[in-house]
Amino acid sequence: MEEEELTSRHLPVEEDMPAQRRVWRFERVGWYALMLIVLLGLAGLFGNGPLSEATVRSADGRVAVDYKRVSRAGIREELRIRVQGTAGEPLTVLLGGSLVREASIETLQPEPLTSLSHGEALLLSLGTPVDGAATLYLTLRSEHIGPLEGTVRAGSGSTVRFTTFIYP
Amino acid sequence: MDSILRATCMYIALLVVFRIAGRRSLGDLTTFDFVLLMIIGEATQQALLGEDFSFINSMMVIATLIVLDVGLSLAKLNSRRVAKLVDGHATLVVEHGRFLHGRMRRTRLTEEDILESARTNQGVERVEQIKFAIVERTGKISIIPQE
Repeated sequence: MEEEELTSRHLPVEEDMPAQRRVWRFERVGWYALMLIVLLGLAGLFGNGPLSEATVRSADGRVAVDYKRVSRAGIREELRIRVQGTAGEPLTVLLGGSLVREASIETLQPEPLTSLSHGEALLLSLGTPVDGAATLYLTLRSEHIGPLEGTVRAGSGSTVRFTTFIYP
Repeated sequence: MDSILRATCMYIALLVVFRIAGRRSLGDLTTFDFVLLMIIGEATQQALLGEDFSFINSMMVIATLIVLDVGLSLAKLNSRRVAKLVDGHATLVVEHGRFLHGRMRRTRLTEEDILESARTNQGVERVEQIKFAIVERTGKISIIPQE
């Protein structure tokens, strides 16, 4: 912009061009910031997109959990737990962590044979699957804001830990 | 408590977003702008009230917004700095019949926008007949014709 246009006029209005230029710069930078937020939202940084999905496996590979890294308060999220046990033996899964305490489990499929309280955790017995493999589908909903930690344990050595961050 | 925090955050967020959008965006409302504004209101309403549609909750949200709004206008009254920060400044875009193109570009105004405003407000036909055109803090264009 020309130098002459940048000088403040005093008539008919009192101008403050240095401040006005800061406002223009703020509008420009802000526009890029909003665009960045939209792009990050598309990528799933605020939940519900490719960046937010994750899978974690236990060290021995017997427990795998598909979860969401980030989610938002009040929306339903799916959690899938795959467990590989030994064929012909009863399978139990222990669900624990702040996720179980703070989020409410809206659905749990298939229904476990028994569901017991184990301290603050849940002990679910899934019966005796023919090939020893079982998959649990849960839908969770949390009004809690902040990080939530979940643990899934099947047997002694197979533990999986994961954290979900809940946006307001 | 939740709804008060939500309302406060929303007030501040909207203040910032509309400052980013600039004066021009919603200054002269076209039909489309009006619809856009309604959609923004709709999206905001969901986040403000959540799932609590009770009378108390809506009164809390309304009270919070009014308190913030009156508070802000009091702050503007007492401090010129706050007023400038929130409302912005008036900017000259036509001076003695001459367009100031650099400024027009920054405020996202075309020659056509200014001439349109000149026609509707003052019955002025050409830019030479305009003494001053000013983008006001509200986004409206004021035209002062040549004597």
